[in-house]
Amino acid sequence: MRLVVILVAVAFVALLVLLPVIAVFTEALRKGFALYVASITEHDALSAVKLTLETAAISVAANLVFGIAASWAIAKFEFPGKSILISLIDLPFAVSPVISGLVFVLLFGAQGIFGRWLLDRNIQIVFAEPGVILATIFVTFPFIARELIPLMQEQGVEEEEAAVLLGASAWQTFRRVTLPNIRWALLYGVVLCNARAMGEFGAVSVVSGHIRGRTNTLPLHVEILYNEYNFSAAFAVASLLTLLAVVTLIVKTLLEWKTRRGHSTPVEDVYAD
Amino acid sequence: MPIEVRHVSRTFGEWTALRDVSLTVNQGELVTLLGPSGSGKTTLLRIIAGLEEPDPNPESLVAIGGADISRQKPDERRVGFVFQHYALFRHMSVFENIAFGLRVRPKKVRPLEKEIRRRVGELLELIQLGRWANQYPSQLSGGQRQRVALARALAIEPSVLLLDEPFGALDARVRQELRRWLRTLHARIPVTSVLVTHDQEEALEVADRIAIMNAGRIEQFSTPDEVFHHPASAFVVKFLGNVNLFHGRVEAGKAVIGGQAVDSSRALPSDGGAARVFVRPHELDIDIHRLPGAAVRARVLRIQSAGPMVRVELTPADDESVRAEDTINVDLTHERYRDLAMRVGDAVFVRVRDSRVFVEDYSI
Repeated sequence: MRLVVILVAVAFVALLVLLPVIAVFTEALRKGFALYVASITEHDALSAVKLTLETAAISVAANLVFGIAASWAIAKFEFPGKSILISLIDLPFAVSPVISGLVFVLLFGAQGIFGRWLLDRNIQIVFAEPGVILATIFVTFPFIARELIPLMQEQGVEEEEAAVLLGASAWQTFRRVTLPNIRWALLYGVVLCNARAMGEFGAVSVVSGHIRGRTNTLPLHVEILYNEYNFSAAFAVASLLTLLAVVTLIVKTLLEWKTRRGHSTPVEDVYAD
Repeated sequence: MPIEVRHVSRTFGEWTALRDVSLTVNQGELVTLLGPSGSGKTTLLRIIAGLEEPDPNPESLVAIGGADISRQKPDERRVGFVFQHYALFRHMSVFENIAFGLRVRPKKVRPLEKEIRRRVGELLELIQLGRWANQYPSQLSGGQRQRVALARALAIEPSVLLLDEPFGALDARVRQELRRWLRTLHARIPVTSVLVTHDQEEALEVADRIAIMNAGRIEQFSTPDEVFHHPASAFVVKFLGNVNLFHGRVEAGKAVIGGQAVDSSRALPSDGGAARVFVRPHELDIDIHRLPGAAVRARVLRIQSAGPMVRVELTPADDESVRAEDTINVDLTHERYRDLAMRVGDAVFVRVRDSRVFVEDYSI
């Protein structure tokens, strides 16, 4: 019985995960290594890489600030509307990314609510880089907050209170007490957030406008190449994203191991009061 | 430094945690706030520390060393605070935990590294954990952790020391050890201290004075001896350990239960009225035959003779109107128990040797 269950699981993983990954790399290298290198160093590909990295960097930075602030507020303070805030943080998980993208078009597009105002000031958001970044931030903002809230709630506020009573300022308390206590979970959230930011397709697809060399991220670039029957190039660029996934997976596993260790508190620490 | 709290109230929405509380703690004194959970004792402590704010009231005052600190933030008050669950910084070694309060000082007033090492070293000696300096909190026992927490609080040379159920999370043996140790420590470093507890034994053993709290008020604030022997209210009697309650009347300045006047340690109004008579188990005696002063007929329910005293549980006879609770507890010396030679099921008489009487207040 045990053997059967294990075999079924392994077969599924092999068929649905391993095989596609191998296929990506074999397809990418089918026409030789030179073409592979050429496909990923060609101008449009490089600009897609650049935009993807920029978008991910800005989204992660923005969500780092938002995630820490939101989980700090939720875990350590009581305020009206707290449960609404918690629900809103989950919103991007509940909404289809395409709809999230569409909302930005409706808000900032030429026919949108702020369209006229932006047009008058010559600011372009939709079908430009700001739109891509905004959509990505929206789609990825639960990742860090969701990681931190349960951990910070579990840790409570006593260590912070102790720090403050010992004379620490708010910043010192955060730097020396709160941050070290959440660092592994925070990094874990950043890794997940980053992976999603780089891989996001739906929302970005709606707001980007698919302008080659300007508003294409890596996933969008893959799609364009594929639709042009340029399979080798499509798979070559896709292999970059696959590599990112593999790296993410390794870092994630390491962090999970780390969090579990840093997390484990001795049994005597838990008391019913 | 002395602590003064005047006219402090605190409400949380519908719930009133403190009702117009005033309290003065003298220089170098160790005061315990004793009360059941929800009595407001922890709220009062947190208000002194600045972790909670009192309800706004022009008359309310929180002062340490004569200076009003109501407007000071907790990080400016320089109070030492010890939490029930230690609240040690889990990612710092014992040494760094104790050094924390010195390290976070602004550059101008921060001691030099050498001085910090010396001070922490002294405190580690004081709590006898010198060898554990580089360990992490998770590697220590509960008692050791609480000693580290205390050293951490003392490192900033606090004006006052506030302890919130510091031994509440420890097992009985360690708790007793730490209590004694705290008493010795306080004799050596006589910093004004307030300790919150719900354990009456702890309060009686440790405190110079006890403030007994109930429903957001201080019922009595006095020495352990005074609160135990001259309790100010029925609540105080009940809270300070096992007690039997009898219903009686006041006649000619004496409390009467079951037709017998009983001795009580305090003067009563001369007119009649319902009275509640509180008698501790060791203040009752048992007689086989009816003697003068024997108040209640009862039957022996259980005898437990393993211990320093023999504990006898009795049920009052059915026709006795005095019964307030299901059983009467009597503590006898082993000698007295041998003399009586009684057995479970015997009918006996219970005599009150001393009591505390409270006349029922119908004015509400």
